[in-house]
Order: sequence, then C-alpha cells, then structure tokens
Amino acid sequence: MAEDTTLSDDLLRQLMSVGEADLLVAIPTYNNEGTIGQTIQAIEDSYQQNFVRDRVAILNVDGGSADQTQEIVLNLNGKKSSLRRGITSLRTVHRVTAQYGRGPSQGSALKIVLAAADLLRVKACAVVSPATTVLDPAWVANLLRPAYKQDFAFVAPLYSRTKFQGLLARNLLYPMSRAVFGVRIREMYADEWGFSGRLASECASEQMDEAVRARPEAWMAVNAICNGMKCSQSYLGPRTATPGGPDIVETIRQTVGNLFYCCDAFQDHWLDRTGTESVQTFGSDHELTAEDAPSRQDKSFELFRNGVQTLDSVLKSILAKETHAKLKEIATKDIDQFDFPSELWVRVLYDFAAAYHRTTIARDHILQALAPLYRGQLFSFLSDQAQSTPEEMEADTESLCLEFERQKPYLIERWKAKS
Amino acid sequence: MAPQDDNLWYKDAVIYQVHVRTFCDSDGNGVGDFRGLTNKLDYLQELGINAVWLLPFYPSPLRDDGYDIADYTSVNPTYGTIEDFKAFLQAAHARKIRVITELVVNHTSDQHPWFQEARSSRDNPKRDWYVWSDTDDKYKGVRIIFIDTEMSNWSWDPISKTYYWHRFFSHQPDLNYDNPAVKEAVWEVMKFWLDIGVDGFRLDAVPYLVEREGTSCENLPETHTVIKELRARLDDAFPGKMLLAEANMWPADVRDYFGQGDGDEFHMAFHFPLMPRMFMAVKLEDRKPIIDILEQTPQIPDNCQWCIFLRNHDELTLEMVTDIERDYMYDSFAGDKTMRINLGIRRRLAPLLENDRRRIELLNGLLLSMPGTPIIYYGDEIGMGDNVYLGDRNGVRTPMQWNGGWNAGFSSSDPERLYSPLISNPVYGYQSVNVEAQRRTEHSLLSWTKSVIQTRNSFRVFSRGSIDFLSPSNHRVLAYVRQLGEEKVLVVNNLSSSAQAVELNLQSFKGHIPIEMFGRNLFPRIGELPYLLTLAPYQFFWFRLRRI
Amino acid sequence: MKDTIVQGLQQAYQNMAHMIAEFLPRLVVMLVIVLTGVLVAYAFKYAARMILRLTKLDRLSEEAGASKVLRMAALPSMTEVLSRSVFWITLLGFILIGISVLNIAGLQEQVSRLLRLLPEIVVAMLILFLGLVIANFLSRAVLLGSVNRGYGSALLFSWSVRFIIWILAITMALDELSVARQTVLAAFSIVFGAFMLGLAIAFGYGGQDLARKFLERSLAEKKPDDSDELQPL
Repeated sequence: MAEDTTLSDDLLRQLMSVGEADLLVAIPTYNNEGTIGQTIQAIEDSYQQNFVRDRVAILNVDGGSADQTQEIVLNLNGKKSSLRRGITSLRTVHRVTAQYGRGPSQGSALKIVLAAADLLRVKACAVVSPATTVLDPAWVANLLRPAYKQDFAFVAPLYSRTKFQGLLARNLLYPMSRAVFGVRIREMYADEWGFSGRLASECASEQMDEAVRARPEAWMAVNAICNGMKCSQSYLGPRTATPGGPDIVETIRQTVGNLFYCCDAFQDHWLDRTGTESVQTFGSDHELTAEDAPSRQDKSFELFRNGVQTLDSVLKSILAKETHAKLKEIATKDIDQFDFPSELWVRVLYDFAAAYHRTTIARDHILQALAPLYRGQLFSFLSDQAQSTPEEMEADTESLCLEFERQKPYLIERWKAKS
Repeated sequence: MAPQDDNLWYKDAVIYQVHVRTFCDSDGNGVGDFRGLTNKLDYLQELGINAVWLLPFYPSPLRDDGYDIADYTSVNPTYGTIEDFKAFLQAAHARKIRVITELVVNHTSDQHPWFQEARSSRDNPKRDWYVWSDTDDKYKGVRIIFIDTEMSNWSWDPISKTYYWHRFFSHQPDLNYDNPAVKEAVWEVMKFWLDIGVDGFRLDAVPYLVEREGTSCENLPETHTVIKELRARLDDAFPGKMLLAEANMWPADVRDYFGQGDGDEFHMAFHFPLMPRMFMAVKLEDRKPIIDILEQTPQIPDNCQWCIFLRNHDELTLEMVTDIERDYMYDSFAGDKTMRINLGIRRRLAPLLENDRRRIELLNGLLLSMPGTPIIYYGDEIGMGDNVYLGDRNGVRTPMQWNGGWNAGFSSSDPERLYSPLISNPVYGYQSVNVEAQRRTEHSLLSWTKSVIQTRNSFRVFSRGSIDFLSPSNHRVLAYVRQLGEEKVLVVNNLSSSAQAVELNLQSFKGHIPIEMFGRNLFPRIGELPYLLTLAPYQFFWFRLRRI
Repeated sequence: MKDTIVQGLQQAYQNMAHMIAEFLPRLVVMLVIVLTGVLVAYAFKYAARMILRLTKLDRLSEEAGASKVLRMAALPSMTEVLSRSVFWITLLGFILIGISVLNIAGLQEQVSRLLRLLPEIVVAMLILFLGLVIANFLSRAVLLGSVNRGYGSALLFSWSVRFIIWILAITMALDELSVARQTVLAAFSIVFGAFMLGLAIAFGYGGQDLARKFLERSLAEKKPDDSDELQPL
C-alpha cells in the first residue's frame, strides 16, 4: 500500500511543472498502443473545443505496458491549428505520464490519479478508458463540466445501449446500489467517470481496499454519497462492446464484490437511510436500442440448476433457511416452466450481502457462489423479456428497483442478526 | 560605429512615441507645441531613448487625430511653425536622438487642396488623384475597417455627384496610386522632410494603397511595386533613412513588406500579433501564446527589423487574435464595455495591469529583451493612467504629467483651456503620478525604466542578436537566450503570480557563469545538471553568460 | 480363625480408615488446588482478554488475515481464542498439580508423561485443526470453480481434495506424536496411492470425454462461454 501513495520523483517533477490545473483527464493504460493516440487526441480536442481558457492536463498512468503506449503518449503531437482561425487552447495542454508497473490495476492507477489531482488542486477530473474506441471529445466535456462548473462531486456516465447489454448492471448492480445507498445512479460501474477535486482529495486520503481495486469508480461514488456530496449523470453516447472482458465469475467478483464491500464498509451511512433520490441528469436520458433476442441460454439454466444442487452446503451457510428452500424448489422446475421471481432474487442478494458482511465463509467463495444463481436469474429474465419493447424493459427494471427498496428492511434485519 | 553600420541605426533604437500636442505647451494656449517638446528633449535623453516618433503634426481638421492631413508640407500652427520644427530637429540630433515622422499618404483629408480641386469638376487635372466611381458597387466585398462608424467604403460627393473611395473615415478619401502624378507628389513630400533632416517615416495604412476589382484590395502586388519605387528613390537620394510600415497583419503577410532578397521595401514593420499575446501570456500564466506567435513569425532580411510595442496611441488592437483569444482579452482586460472600441481596448499600460508594478516591469522587461526595436508610448514610463470616458481613443492621449503643480506642469493656460482634461483620479492623477516625483526616488518606475533601457543600450545583443527559446517543463516560465557573436544573454521570466522553480537545460553553455545584469552579481557556474532557478512572482532575470 | 478374620477385617478397616484419613485431606487439598486453579484461570483469562484488547490484537489479526481463517473455522475472535486457551491451559496445569498431590502410584507417572507429551499434543491438534480449515477452504474453492465452469463431477473433485488434505493432516499429526511412525507412513502411502489409482481409473473409464474436451479446450483458442456472450456491464 505504501508504495502506491508515494509518487515517484519523476512524476512529482512533472506535477511541479504543471503547478496548478483546473482540469485533469486521466487515462489508465496497459498495452493500448492501438487506441491511445485517438484517445489523447479526443481529450485534446475536447479541451480545445470546451475549455480553451482553462488550465488543463492529461495524465497517463501506465501499468507497465510492454508495447509502445508510453512512447505514443509522450511523442504524439497535437494537431497544430493555425492561430489565424483555428481553435486552440490558450494555455499549454500539459501531458504527464506515470508508471506503477505491476500489471494493470485500476485501483493502483486511480491512487496515482487521485494523488495527482490532489497535488494539482484540480477542480474537476475525469478518467477515460483507452479501450473505448469511440471516445468523443464531447464525452470528456460532459464528464468534466458538472464537477467543474457545478457543485457535483461524482459524475457517472449514461450510455445508450442495445437491449440485452449490461444485464448485470440492470438486474443487480443498479437496483441494489440504488436501494442500499438511496441514490439513483444508473451506471455506477463504468469505464468513464468524472469527479470533483474535493472528492479526489477525500478519496486520496482513504484506504482503498483490495476488494474495490478492480472497480474503484463505484467506491468513489459511494464515498461521495456517504460524505453527503452531490452526484450527477451525464449522457455520453453508445456504449461500446469491449471484447475479451472478464467472464461472468470475474465480473461478479469485481462488481458485486465491490458493492458488497461498500455495503459493509459504509454501513453506518445507509442502515438508517430510507427512500431514494434521483440525481441530476445532463443530456438526454439513457436510451435502449432494440436488438434481436439472443438464442435461449439453456446452458445458463443448466449451470443454475446444477449449482443449486451441488453447492447445497455452501448455499446453506450463506442463505437464510427459507430463501434456500425456495431456491431449491424453483430449481426443480422444468426448463419451460422456470421462473426466478424477483422477490426471491432480491432476498437471495440480501442474504448474500449479509453473509458477506459477516464473512460466514470466505468472501470470495460467497461471490463465486452467486454466479450460478445470477445465471438462473439471467435465464429467467431473457425468457421473459425476449420480445419486450425497450419501454417495457425499463418498466420491469423500475419494478425490480422498487422490490429491492421494499425489501430493504429484510436486508437490515439479516444484517443485524447475530449469526 | 562604422558608417554602414550606422545606416542600421534603427536596429539599435529605443523609440519614444509622442504627440506634439500632448507633451508640453510652451506658449500657454493649452496645446503642446514643438518649442515645448524641444524643451523636454533633455528628459528624453535622460530616459535613454534614441529616437522619437512624432504623430502627425500637419495642418488638419483634426477629425482623426491628425491622420486627416490637409497640407503635407507644413506644421499645424497650433503646434508652431516649420522653423520651430527645424529647431526641434536640430536639438534632437544634437542629443543623438533621431526623429521619425508620419507619412499618411493612403488618403488625405477632404479639406486637402488636392481633393478640393479633384472634386471641383470631373475634368479637373487632379480628378484622377483620387478614386471615383459612379456606383458604390465597385470593389464589392472589401471589408470596412472602422465598423463602428462607417457603413461603406464609398461615399457620395455632392459636388461632383459621384462616389469616392475611402478605407477609413468618409472624410479621408484615398489617393489613387495608379496615377504616376500621385506617386511623384508623394515623393516630393518625402523629399521635403528629408531635406530638413527627418530620419525616417512611419507609413500609415500601407496595405491599402492600391485597389483592384475582385480582390480584398489589401496587400496587392501593385502596392508592393509602389513601395519598392519609393524605397529605391529613398536609398538613392538619402541613404541611412528608414521606412517603418504600419500593416496590422499576420507576420507571414507583413513579411512581404520587407521585400525580397536583402529587403527592398520597408526597413521595419510593427509586429502586431505579438503585443496582445504578451498581455495574454501574463494573464494566462503560460508562455504558450508568445511561443506560438514567434514560431509563426518568418525570418526577415538581415537589414530589417521588427518593431515591438506594448501600447500606442490607438486601442490595444485585437484584430490579430482568434475570436476565443479576443473574448479572453476582453474579459481579462476590459470587463467594463466602455473600455472597448472597434476591435480593441482603449487603455494604457498601467491601468491594464491594475497598476501592478511587478507586472509593468515584467512586460517592459519582455519588450526590451525580445528581438525587435521597442517603442515606448509617452507616459507609460511613469505609469500614467487613462480616461475611457473621453470618447474615441482620446483617453490615452491626455497631457503628459510633469509635476504635481498647475496643469501637471504641461501648460500655464487655464485648466479649462487644455486640449484635453488631465488625469486627476487619486491613483493615476498627476498629483501622484508625475515625472518630477519619480525623478526624486531611485525606486520609482521612471528610474527603473531608465536603468533597464540603459542596460539594454549597453548590449547590442538585445537589438541585433538571435533568439533561441528554451523549453523548460514549467510552462509558466518563459526563457530564451539572445546571442550575438560572443555576447550571450539568458533571459528568464516568471509569467505567473506565484513563486516558481524552473530547471533550464543549458548544456550548450556548460562552463559559463551567469552574471545578473542589473546587480552584476555572479551566479553559480553552469554544469552538467539542469540549471535550477527560483523566481518570485512576475520576476525576471537577465543574465550575461560569460566564460571566465 | 474368627479372630484372625476379625483382626484381618479390623486391620483392613484400620488400613482403609487410615488411607481415607490420609487420602481425604489430600483430596481436599486437590479440590482446593483445582478450585484455586479455576479462580486463577478465570483471573488469567480476564487479564489476558484485557491486555489483548488493549494491544488491539484483533485489528492486527484482521490485517494479517488470521481472523479470516478463524471465521472460516467458525471460531470467535483472536482475543477470545487466546484468552480461552489461557484459561484452559492454566486450569489443566492446576488439575495436573492437584492429581499429583493425590499421590496415587502409577497415576503420577502417567501424569508426568502426559505433561511431557503436552506440547506435542497441542501441535498435533493444531495441525489437525489447520488441516480441517484448509481442507474445508480448498474443497469449497474447487467445488465453486468446477460448478462455475460447468464440470459434471464437481462434488467428486471437491471431496477428493478434502480427503487428500485430511489424510495428509492426520498423517502429519500422528507423525508429530511419534505414534507408529513406520506404520502410519506406509498406511498413508498405500491409501494415497490407492486413491490416486482409483481416480486415474475413474478418469480413464468415465472421463475419456472429459479429458478430451479439457485438452481441446486448453489447446484450442479459448472460446467464451455462451452465457457470457452478453456483456454483463
């Protein structure tokens, strides 16, 4: 941990040269030579189009790329626009590079970003992913502006998506984080996000647990919420598919693990909190584009059924007795009659969160045990929603959210129960 | 000085820009005059300047501050007689001060006898001396310069019932340079003043001399031909005299006015785009604007030189900046809309910089250490203020403040009779800002200006040396090395309002010792490592680099 | 004859009375010692708990990851475990002292042997305990991993792992106690060998397909799972 917070002399020297900045955009990279050039260009364009007068900097935090990423960052020359009519930043656009070099880690990268933001006394900061090939200059501006020009501490993105994209976020992360923390942030787990300098300073002084390192953005959001800071969402554009991402289990480990950890670490802030509040949204609301339903995921169902049977002993130490019984009951259903009721889904998750909180078994095992159950829920959801319109799907999500909110007392009861 | 070197006197000059009317009134009529100006030459010599640029002093209806000339070869009686002018010229030369006058020959006043004759009838021999047209359709699309006052470049002449062409005010008809007689007449005017002993001319409104259909009527090749002719005749008859171009253009366009090869048009031209960017760089605390514009400045022939300035008698012009830059300049320096006029800001140096001595010194330091011949606008050496409520640009043309007494020592007339009210507010008024008070203290702005001009004058590297920018990673520091033979000067400027540390890569000067030029103190020798300097807010250093 | 019997009985009675008279005080002393032991042990326990709490041991053990192990073994906090151990060890010591006071021949020897064996017993128990914890943890990890990868014989895998670790732990524990070293080692080798052979045969017969699939999958390009085709985020 200590080596994370100590900035290298080289980075310090670079930061000294920047001095003070209004805006900072950070790009955590790891072998991104293919796209890093475009990304930096988009950021510079954004600065030139939207923040010509401001003191701006770009920070590249590299996890020890073996390819040309770092060279490209340092040597890429911005488009020289003629002074006569071209639009150009009035000030120097600073480029800063830092390495942490132990393989890619969002958390380690963010630690450096936060420290840099703190030292540069930035007013607003955004993190963008070099893997996003469609990064548009407007995205950067939309992430920065609410934190810079208004009093928002955290700026979550909003994407337009195809219908069956982001189902873990839709059926678990969004409704549960909304119910627990009481703030309706649609995309707490995203590759692009913005935050204020104040939140950066706040988080820079916090310990970042191993559990949140893969997805530190959500941890920042929860930090903002629990410190009473304001959050907002900015519509960016279509979310790109990033091929070759982690599999379901790993994704659950990273995101749900993060959520459960935050529930645990910030319990003082939400246990007494009731109701939810919406956050200010800039730009159009997120939208869904229709898409053909994927083929029936029979395999998901099989993995679910098999999981419930085989993991009996594990589930027993996680779930409440009634929840477990109900789960076993639906798992015996025939594939055509199978339905995962949302009431049960919510209970399952609340039981899991409480088990995580008490560490009834190894926390990582708790998260792994959730994967088959999520697959079951996914199968049920896809069967239900295969033909529904985007509006119907939204309505379904909203009702799931309300179910999560309705059952929050159950979570609290399980949370406080003596094992 | 070798004779041929002396012909390049304009390169080593520090020019003081003044209007006779504003400087000193010797006869108590409330308007400055040549005798008054002559009396104050000692002050100018003491200041260390070695050339004076006089704004138009010719007979004129004065509807454009004298740029509407009614007679090219005499002196406006309010300022004195031609004899007074000759006496002034002699006195100046005796003090090694050269005199540059205005040659406003793109247009005349509509009161000029030439125009009176030309408009009198369509077949007058002087008819062709101006540009006439039966319709106002000719030269369509040519931009109007004084957008605040003029609707068209054509005006109706009720006497000869035709339109006449004018690029500036409608009372300033443009001369027709397609007419050889006009060129001859202009040369006669030049000869008249050169014979008396004038050392150079500032040619006003150069790009607009010739008009052609279907063009912007600016920077035409025909215009260049006119200038080349004039220059050739000048070099022939009066070697060592200087022509200075006023062309408010981008450096790449101005470049053409230096001519081809070893420069066969103007000796000097103003660097207009640099000026606002010096202000901008200090406001932004970033060297980028200055570096950007100097990178886009082309090389000029060896015998030519840029003229640089911070302020002049006009508004701080914002024509040569982008829209974004202009908005920024307006917001930063002219928050009050009355401070804006045309595309610029009508304010003096000190009020622009909020009377911050550190910033005034920094900008003067930049002016005097960057390549080019610097021009100091009268009054800025003592930090005079302005009065934006006087209309047009008269707010920066108020009487010189000599002392805290009657009319600031400018005139013995009744205060009500002065051509312009004095600046009298408590901060900038003559009671607090005046020559006499500042002469008494060693640390006044005036004394400081004297010493910095003196330092500049003792090293030719400032006027003739090359410039190489250093690129320290700290962008709030502007550093460059001026070099002329063995003379090397390192200039380091902190553009920001906070203390800065900077590491300079001075590898090519390894082993040199920097000697601070004002205090002559030695600094540590330049070694292998980057040279570390710390600078207080807005501080600048001039170092002589010496191998000892 | 009668007299002799009576005398004998009397003698016996006297002996018994004598023994009882001799034994009773010792018993009382022992009871007193044990009672004192209980009190002292309680005092030690509280003292230990106080000191451990003051030194914030729990936070330390949390950071070291020891608490996680305890929690997985369904044990209370480190402070609690240690203070309870202090209690029991103290009490055990007192009981043993008490027993020695009884001065029963033979028992004395046993007790001293037990005392000499005590550290080894503790270590052996610790090994067994750790073995239990590790077996639990690893078998669960294998179970979850297999289930999520969709392997059919998840339970078999998981039990195999558990079994192997148990055997290993038991062998090590017995070894620690130096009980029939040779026999234990031989038994372990036989059991382990047989188990592996069994597994190999089972794989050979039943797992041909599985093995082939496994090899194909690891050699060929990694193909993402069908269900993961939909982007979860």
